[in-house]
Amino acid sequence: MPENILVIGGGPAGLHAANELAELGVSVSLVERDAFIGGNPKKFKYKFLFPDLQPAENVIGELIKKAESNKNIRIYYSSEVTDFKENGKKFDVTIKSPKGTETKTFNSVIVATGFEHFDPATDSKYSYQLFDDVIDIKDLEKMMGEGNFNRPSNGKPPRNVAIILCVGSRDRHVGNQYCSRVCCTVSVKQAIELKEHFPEMEVYIFYMDIRTYGFYEDLYWKAMEEHDVQIVKGRVAEITSGPDNTVICKGEDTLLRGPFEIPFDMVVLASGMEGGPQSPEMSKKLGIELDEHGFLKPANITLSPFKSNKDGIFLAGACTGPKAIVDAIVEGGAAAMNAYIYAKKNAQ
Amino acid sequence: MEYDENGVSIVPFEFKKEIFEEAKKDFRYEEYVRGCLNCGVCTGGCPPHRFFDFSPRIVLQKCKSNDPALVWEMMDEYIWACFQCFTCAMICPFLNSPGGVIAILREIAVRRGFESAKRVLKPYSRVLLKLTAYGNQLSPDMIQPDFFPDWGPHIGYASQDLPLKRKAIPMPTLQVTNLAWDVAPETMKELYTIFDEAGVFKIIEVVDPSLYEIIMDIIDDVRSS
Repeated sequence: MPENILVIGGGPAGLHAANELAELGVSVSLVERDAFIGGNPKKFKYKFLFPDLQPAENVIGELIKKAESNKNIRIYYSSEVTDFKENGKKFDVTIKSPKGTETKTFNSVIVATGFEHFDPATDSKYSYQLFDDVIDIKDLEKMMGEGNFNRPSNGKPPRNVAIILCVGSRDRHVGNQYCSRVCCTVSVKQAIELKEHFPEMEVYIFYMDIRTYGFYEDLYWKAMEEHDVQIVKGRVAEITSGPDNTVICKGEDTLLRGPFEIPFDMVVLASGMEGGPQSPEMSKKLGIELDEHGFLKPANITLSPFKSNKDGIFLAGACTGPKAIVDAIVEGGAAAMNAYIYAKKNAQ
Repeated sequence: MEYDENGVSIVPFEFKKEIFEEAKKDFRYEEYVRGCLNCGVCTGGCPPHRFFDFSPRIVLQKCKSNDPALVWEMMDEYIWACFQCFTCAMICPFLNSPGGVIAILREIAVRRGFESAKRVLKPYSRVLLKLTAYGNQLSPDMIQPDFFPDWGPHIGYASQDLPLKRKAIPMPTLQVTNLAWDVAPETMKELYTIFDEAGVFKIIEVVDPSLYEIIMDIIDDVRSS
């Protein structure tokens, strides 16, 4: 009889874990709260992925196709784990789906519940949802995914765009002290995409530190050297309405200009990543630890970032902290291997 | 007091160190000075920054530098440019309070009777007098062009015919121009005790000895009445 493994969450990490396990002949149950799989990249229609600007479909589409076509994977759409009990070295789990409720015994569990985009409306200084032309990176990603590069207010091409980094990240006021890791690179990528679409447009990036770590730095150079993106050191203090249907960004250029108030046609907020309501929910239901940032806490952050503090429950992807899709996929593989070893060892 | 070419008063390094240590010992200091990543939000939102060469980010950075000489550079003029509106403290993503640090530094300047504190407080001597001796604040007769030039071009008109204008106010007033409200002698005596205990009179004695004499004479009269 094959091992039974439960994967909670059908984003990049959960899908990759499920696919790997299915290849090993494991019987996988994949529980997904949405009516589709693919996670946030699918939900918000990410179009091109950094660093090589390959179509997101190459990655997400591939993962989805594999999962949907593998007969060893049973996908529960629009479903949730309603009850979770330890049963010796195994787990009795109740899954509630639109088709009804069923309880199954699993040898091990992988939690890959991912992240939520920070909601910029909770930080009033950015006037998000107050002005139509103030959007955030996921909105822009979705717009560009649909081939729309125009201003939401009037449908005309923007003459200039401000991109504001660290929205909802590195900000104790909103309770997120951490860096969300990917927003700098996503923003630089989006700046390049905007400039490629409208070469005449001015793009400003307002930053505290540009964290395009590792090879992502190539994009940062490219934005500056090939596309003349203006990179200004200073966090925006306030966004107000300006003349001629513009929005004014007010702040301090800490290196060059001093105080500035610049009217823009469009402002893009690089909102960060949060553990979302699902992280504490998983922590409570499964009895695994939550960290001080609102994400799930690995047993050992360096040695075993894919293990929870409870034997037999493994973690993968952005549920343990902000990370890029590539890292989520890597962790999905690592968690799959560890979940498989645990299941094999404790099969009887 | 001698000043260098940047207008900074010349004092020995040991003294600068003593002042910085005094600031750091203040129980509020640790709460006001945390991490700073030079993001500039505080300065971007700072009202005086629009008018003067003043930046709350620089205030915090100088404190973070741990260099007493950099902190001392602010004591003569810089710290007095702040409006104490605490916008910086409200918007700092790291919960620093540059305005709070300035309050600490100003208090040191006042307690020690620095020239800068005396100079800044001089125009407020009448307010201090009304406040500490009479338990009042601004009264109509204090509105005079010489004392409030920053109130704009209409200050001259505003300061004329005060008794008449006072009568025109459609709510009960004392119908006098030297008081804003009536304070009972018992209340005044209580206020004196509070100011005494809080060290307010001691501070006034340091920054303005002649004002101190006047206030003490009034207090003696009230207390013996």
